Amino acid sequence: MFVLNFLLRRLFQGSIIIFLVTFIIFTLLRVVPGDPARLIVGGMAPDDVVIQKAEELGLNEPIPIQFIAYLGDLLSGDLGNSFIRPKSGASFGGSSFDDPTRAERAAVLDLIVDHLPLTLQLAATAIVFGLLIALPLGIAGGLHPGRWQDRLAFFSGSVFVSVPNFWLGIVLTLLFSVQLGWLPSIGYKGYAYTILPAIVLAIEIAPFVIRTLTVSLAQVMQEEFVTIGALRGLPRWRVVTFHALRNASIPLMNLFGIQLGTLLGGVLVIEYIFDYPGLGLLTINAVLQRDFPLIQGIAICISAMFVLINIVVDLAATAVDPRLEY
Amino acid sequence: MMSTDADTLQVRGLTVGLRGGKRQEILSDLSFDLRSGQTLGIIGEAGSGKTVLAKALVRGLGETMEITSGQILYRNRDLLRLPRSDLNRIRGNEIGFIGANPTGALDPTVPIGEQIVEKLRAVHPDLDARSAKQRVLEVLTAVRIPSPEIRFNEFPFQFSGGMMQRVMIVDALVTNPSFLVADNITQALDVTVAAQILRLIEELRDRFSTSIVFISSSLPVVNAVADDVLVLQNGRIVEQAKPETLITKPQHPYSKSLLARLPVIWGRDVVAPKTERAPALLSVRDISRTYRVPKKGSFGQFNAVKAVRGVTMEIREGENFGIVGESGCGKSTLTRLLAWLETPDSGSITFQGRDLSALSKKELVAMRQSFQLLLQDPYSSLPARMPVRRIIAEPLMIHGLGSKSEIREKVLAAMDEVGLDRSLENSLTVGLSAGQRQRINIARALVLEPKLLILDETLSALDQVEQSKLLELFDRLQKAHGFTYIFISHDMALVRKVCHRVAVMYLGKVVELAENKTLFESPGHPYSRALLSAVPTLDDHPFKVEDHLLEGEPPSPVHIPPGCTFRSRCPVALGKCAEQEPAIVSWSDEGQISCHLISDKLTSGGRHRWGGRHR
Amino acid sequence: MANIEHPQTSGSARALESLTPTQRMIRLAWSKTFFKLGFFVFLALALATAFYPEFSGIDPTAMDFKARLVPPLFFEDWTWAHPLGTDQLGRDVLVRCLVGLRYSVLIGVTTVALMFIVGCGLGLISGFRGGWTDTIIMRLTDAQLSIPMIILAITILGVSRPTVPAIILVLGLSGWPLYARVARSVTQAERNKEYVRGERVLGASDLRIILLFVAPAVLPPIAFVAVLDVARIMIFESILGFLGLGVQPPTPTFGNIIADGRKYLINAWWIATMPGIFLLVTLTSLNLMGSALENARNQVLKGTA
Repeated sequence: MFVLNFLLRRLFQGSIIIFLVTFIIFTLLRVVPGDPARLIVGGMAPDDVVIQKAEELGLNEPIPIQFIAYLGDLLSGDLGNSFIRPKSGASFGGSSFDDPTRAERAAVLDLIVDHLPLTLQLAATAIVFGLLIALPLGIAGGLHPGRWQDRLAFFSGSVFVSVPNFWLGIVLTLLFSVQLGWLPSIGYKGYAYTILPAIVLAIEIAPFVIRTLTVSLAQVMQEEFVTIGALRGLPRWRVVTFHALRNASIPLMNLFGIQLGTLLGGVLVIEYIFDYPGLGLLTINAVLQRDFPLIQGIAICISAMFVLINIVVDLAATAVDPRLEY
Repeated sequence: MMSTDADTLQVRGLTVGLRGGKRQEILSDLSFDLRSGQTLGIIGEAGSGKTVLAKALVRGLGETMEITSGQILYRNRDLLRLPRSDLNRIRGNEIGFIGANPTGALDPTVPIGEQIVEKLRAVHPDLDARSAKQRVLEVLTAVRIPSPEIRFNEFPFQFSGGMMQRVMIVDALVTNPSFLVADNITQALDVTVAAQILRLIEELRDRFSTSIVFISSSLPVVNAVADDVLVLQNGRIVEQAKPETLITKPQHPYSKSLLARLPVIWGRDVVAPKTERAPALLSVRDISRTYRVPKKGSFGQFNAVKAVRGVTMEIREGENFGIVGESGCGKSTLTRLLAWLETPDSGSITFQGRDLSALSKKELVAMRQSFQLLLQDPYSSLPARMPVRRIIAEPLMIHGLGSKSEIREKVLAAMDEVGLDRSLENSLTVGLSAGQRQRINIARALVLEPKLLILDETLSALDQVEQSKLLELFDRLQKAHGFTYIFISHDMALVRKVCHRVAVMYLGKVVELAENKTLFESPGHPYSRALLSAVPTLDDHPFKVEDHLLEGEPPSPVHIPPGCTFRSRCPVALGKCAEQEPAIVSWSDEGQISCHLISDKLTSGGRHRWGGRHR
Repeated sequence: MANIEHPQTSGSARALESLTPTQRMIRLAWSKTFFKLGFFVFLALALATAFYPEFSGIDPTAMDFKARLVPPLFFEDWTWAHPLGTDQLGRDVLVRCLVGLRYSVLIGVTTVALMFIVGCGLGLISGFRGGWTDTIIMRLTDAQLSIPMIILAITILGVSRPTVPAIILVLGLSGWPLYARVARSVTQAERNKEYVRGERVLGASDLRIILLFVAPAVLPPIAFVAVLDVARIMIFESILGFLGLGVQPPTPTFGNIIADGRKYLINAWWIATMPGIFLLVTLTSLNLMGSALENARNQVLKGTA
């Protein structure tokens, strides 16, 4: 009953947020300089073609009318078509305005669906790597506050968070692909291509986990139910694994929800560096090519994902700590 | 000291010191015996080392302290020289421990039943899950936790402090330990709940035949349960005696001073302050305050917490008015309403004949000069960054009263009056004692020349000596300025000493309002009697807990049951108490009461109702 | 636990007690080796940034074709004149890094100041007033935290010309909600403190209480944590530069130096690598200080120090 209520409320709030994102991005893209119609038909096209295209796309209507039309399409699951990308093949179509392939533009939804799995694969691998680095450091630091384990966690966290991801990507490519030839790095031809980008992303995730875990675990270890555990007859390993870590994991889950934006930023840049054909690369190219419908579609999809992930995170946190129930 | 086979525990020369740095002894050379089936009481004030002793007995000292010498012989084995593995088999199994803070003692994210089963199976690995659960439920029933099957699956935050302490008792007793260390287990609890826990402990000791080391800072509490008492001062045992002997013939000067400092509520020398008729200064007419808190697991719904429900009272000029009640009774909310920090949802408060809700913002700010609130905590109630003079000047600056030099004059005069040295005027508040800080608070209120001072537990953070000094100060100020005081307190002894009239609150209502003498000697309401019966004191007590206090706890202010709210704990409840809420009727010398027993008596006697006179 | 006098600590404890919480936090952080390490490294870098480019007389944009692709110190053919080597146009990498650091710090500090002022201002109001004001401001931060700001940021900068004010605005837009939330929660805690209640009873207005009591207690600890955010924004700025959405060449920034150097990675690895190490050291020094301050803040507020 509670779960249902919670889901209803959060989905309702989420849809408002998604609506807001849609509105902001839509307005933004209409007020920035640059004529979409000109972009579609290409720089060389005569003016009358541009005007005709604008008419066709309804670009001459007032922005609110356009927005309502867009919303209508959105609700029926249509995110529109890319300005630039053809239905299949390379990202650039012919350069001429009368090129027949120009008529066939890829649907934004299809583009997103095509690119999303690779990004999810990258993110999942990176989270696993990140936890492999961060959990030992964070737990050791939290269990020994003030000792060398704590200082190691503190220092490694501070260094990791200071590494510029794009630079690390370049250095690791130079080292592992060019010099040593251990791992492939540019493009995507198999799972091996995910590993290097995932390591870079893992280094970006790790410091947040290390820090939060160190602080929250050290704090939980001070709690009465931990200190008194031994007097109640519980062995220390039991107190640490079943009670201290359990309680310390709650801030970690919340952190994941809050740091989603950072994670996304990392994905964008890292995919760009490694030319990894996921959603991040798609986004950056869309921005660089001013492919407005694509930018818009990606933004909506990502905020929908944010909303869903945050709901899942909160549900998980509530499952661990029933006090959070609201 | 002779040791016999009947001794469960023999402590010999136990010494505890701080680890590292300079050697400092916290406990010095303690030796005592605990005989099986007996309760050994240990009494000590804050700083006497009693909590350290409790932890040392179970080898649970933290990293800052260590046992430097001595023996703790349990069944002729020295606990201090036992290897870890053996210790872990005994501790939590044959030796139980209950601490002072029940609410933090269990993992907040795991149901209590599961945690007790976990503990039971950790020390009895051979026990299967089913029989472990069975055992836990058995003991939960034994400590009279209502509906144990349901509560087994509930989380610590769903328990009140008193119920949680029962859970911790279950946790300690579930393994049938041969001895139990109880460290100040009633400290965090309200008096009526504490009385219930004490009764329970005595009963369980016989049933489980457990020896108990019972540690407390309250002599009356120790006296009630112990067969033998140790007096601990600065880490040393200064006296050991039977409780009767200790009370009647204390030997050590420290024991004597402990006894002398105990407040007296009932006795030949106690004189209740006398009431005088005077016009009303503050009239409270039927005020209520309900808070809306989001309802759990719902969509935009709220629970109504009825904190104050229809309070009517009149505070007369120049009197000391007391408001007493246990936690959750609504007295803090009432305080905020009286100080007009919050406004009542309904009803009115009239001060000096003017309805506060009818005042404009400006008039209200001006009116605030006349009623001042003195807060509970002398530390957090003063801003940290300001010198003393600036703090006391603050109200004058807010109200723009006087030039710089005039303000300084007034501040210094106020400092003189409350007994603050003038040399303190430029110092910060850090390093000042609690008493000096409260004097700053008083001076700050004083400069505005108010009529009414509301004292919200103002004296409860102070020791006995400071308390009586400040009470003298209040008395002097009252004589000089004609102040009226409202004392909000849980300390019945204090109220007994200074208040002319007292209102007793229970679940948001004033159940009885009476003159001091009437309330303490012949109270009308069963709750007043229950409250008085639970007050820990060595006095010749007119009310016995057994006669006046039932099991159970106050209902939640969200789901207030129909009828009289006290009936669930009332030993004399009638059938109609469950259906009909008793009206407020006037009773015995300008008092008021809300109880069917009394109103029935009155209607048969033909006395008129309270409400009738006021409209 | 019973109160135990610790005679050997009470002297220093009393000395600590006489300080405001803010002073205690600084004192506590300063007692940590890592904080001092970060502080001195950052000080050295700051001095170098302030004086070295002018003092050495090297123009960061001046090309020198006779000294192209000089490697950094202690590699083959190195020279003291170019400690971190030169790029494909013979420009000195160290000076370019130092000038890049100027922009980076400028943008970082200004952005954080902007976020701090906007966020804390709204947070103070929200936390102090409660009710409707609070609900609106908090829903606004909720919404903003669920919006993928990174996409918004690169979109805005991608379609318009990236200038320094535009970059600061875009970055600042993404950060204020966190400040608002922290300021709000601390304000709420402060508002419920006894002395604030006391002020109310005395008749003080909201504004008086906020300015005189709440803000001085709430803001400094948040400002400590802002040190961490300066580092975060500096990374962000370098990312924008790398994507070509930051301050435009020929002005050197970490991002565009590295993007540039990437093309020569195989032959002249240092052009891209050295600025990265430089940035890494700078940010680590900031993060060491910031995290130490944050730890100190937590300890002081929780009363464990």
